[in-house]
Amino acid sequence: MMYGIKVVLGYWFGTDIADRNLAVRPDDTFIVSYPRSGNTWTRFLIANLLFPNTPVTFANIERLIPDTSSQSNRVLKRTPRPRFIKSHQYFDPRYPRVLYVVRDPRDLVLSYYNFQRKYRQIADDYPLANYVDDFVEGRLISADWGTWGENVASWIFTRQNRNSFLLLRYEDMKSDTEHELRRIATFLGLQVGPDRLQQAIAASSPERMRELEQAQSDQWVATQKHRKDIPFVGPAQSGRWHTELPQASVSKIESAWGSLMSTLEYPLATSNMNHTQMYNTPIQRQPLRTS
Amino acid sequence: MIRKLIYGTKCLLGREAPGRNLSVLDDDVFIASYPKSGNTWTRFLVANLIYPQEPVTFLNIEKIIPDPDLQSRNFLKHCPRPRVMKIHHPFDPRYKRVVCIVRDPRDVAVSQYHFQIKRAVLQPGHPIEDFVKRFVAGGTSPYGSWGQNVGSWLIARYNGPGFVLLRYEDLIENAVEGLAQIARLLNLEPDRHRLEKAVEFSSADRMRALEKLQADQWASTKETRIDLPFVRGAKAGEWKSTLSPDAVAQIEQEWGSLMRALGYKIETAGGEAKPSVLDLMEFPSP
Repeated sequence: MMYGIKVVLGYWFGTDIADRNLAVRPDDTFIVSYPRSGNTWTRFLIANLLFPNTPVTFANIERLIPDTSSQSNRVLKRTPRPRFIKSHQYFDPRYPRVLYVVRDPRDLVLSYYNFQRKYRQIADDYPLANYVDDFVEGRLISADWGTWGENVASWIFTRQNRNSFLLLRYEDMKSDTEHELRRIATFLGLQVGPDRLQQAIAASSPERMRELEQAQSDQWVATQKHRKDIPFVGPAQSGRWHTELPQASVSKIESAWGSLMSTLEYPLATSNMNHTQMYNTPIQRQPLRTS
Repeated sequence: MIRKLIYGTKCLLGREAPGRNLSVLDDDVFIASYPKSGNTWTRFLVANLIYPQEPVTFLNIEKIIPDPDLQSRNFLKHCPRPRVMKIHHPFDPRYKRVVCIVRDPRDVAVSQYHFQIKRAVLQPGHPIEDFVKRFVAGGTSPYGSWGQNVGSWLIARYNGPGFVLLRYEDLIENAVEGLAQIARLLNLEPDRHRLEKAVEFSSADRMRALEKLQADQWASTKETRIDLPFVRGAKAGEWKSTLSPDAVAQIEQEWGSLMRALGYKIETAGGEAKPSVLDLMEFPSP
């Protein structure tokens, strides 16, 4: 009964979180990724590209590119069309146009570890190695979106090679942001010159995002109720796992998702792997990214 | 407004079908398939296996192996555990124990075409080529295209624990063996006799006889044309005499690699084209 009342009130007042109950429109575009893969940065880049006259901040990002998992059906319904929507969902056949951001899971897990400490979902001194085991085996809250491998594979397999799907690697976005942002602009059908690209990149730099977070963390739904000593905007680097992730944890991740990682051109550090789970070898590289 | 009121009242009373909002329990088992892939037959097999004393019919199947898109939240909440449910959803990470039934998409297309005529979605004599074109694009079902639906399960779960993949064609060939695999997932240890009995009680002939008696009372048939059967040929390879070479080529071109991985022989040249993530995976040779 309580559940029923909650559902009814949420439904009636439109305050229920959209998530998988979102009413998808044919002209929607989704920015999808596993959590901590650079989704917020990508949102900033795209919002700055789409709305060059509105400085994008944490105070208005949910209005410009709303998040399916924190915004209500009502907010999403009122977002002007065509809508650009952020999501962490695993494959949803209804999403018409998708930009998918993928990040090396060995870096992602480090970022997620800090994030869950920030949210007080794990104890501060929870051992990193245990955390990685939980991550791989799907025991964390994030497993609501599937494991990293399930989420990534479910999208890439069903949508690769389609004009309505753009696969982006966080690492490529870091190393050549302008090039990747131009691919995004082309995908979105935007005619933009180098000036506007550079302007969007500058307005979404980690330094600027850190400044904005300092000033506005109380105004953003993802940060307002959480501890402030661990920032949301992390170091924004790739390859930290080389020095910060224990060897056993690297093996753990690679033995679960090795072939998928190879497909995405993330070189594996452990050889002689014993694949116990999915994605059995042999590994065969496929031209996944079309540019 | 009226719809909101009705839905709201249903929610208050727990009478709404939860669909994807189902509260999943750890020991739930799901029979997953794309529509028209032998899901109803598998439900009969499993139901007859679990309840050997109670003959399964179209009248009680929805209660024994419910569909969360049809049954109410209250009903599902009070089902005896472990619950066994039927779904057509593509991959869902919350479903941990899954029997996935796949069928040759060329036969799925033919079967779905006939079912849409039965449901009067299509007019009799509707050109099947036109249907296949929409089928390939995923426009004939709310559960994604065949390739997306089946592929999302395989890529996420194949070889993983708690996942049993069965081809409809193999089930026809040897239903006892297939059902034994499902039994292991359900932690049942039936002897051969019990397996054979379940297969016998779920035969196409028996299901046809039951359909004759009960078609006007079963959710999936009661508002459809009664002159056309729900249980049709129950065989593999009907597409060979039904689909034009062009329609076959369309299907194979779209899903060639997935079909190959599943051991479905490609007949046209187009099916060799597209590479896929699936080429990474090692499937047992069928």
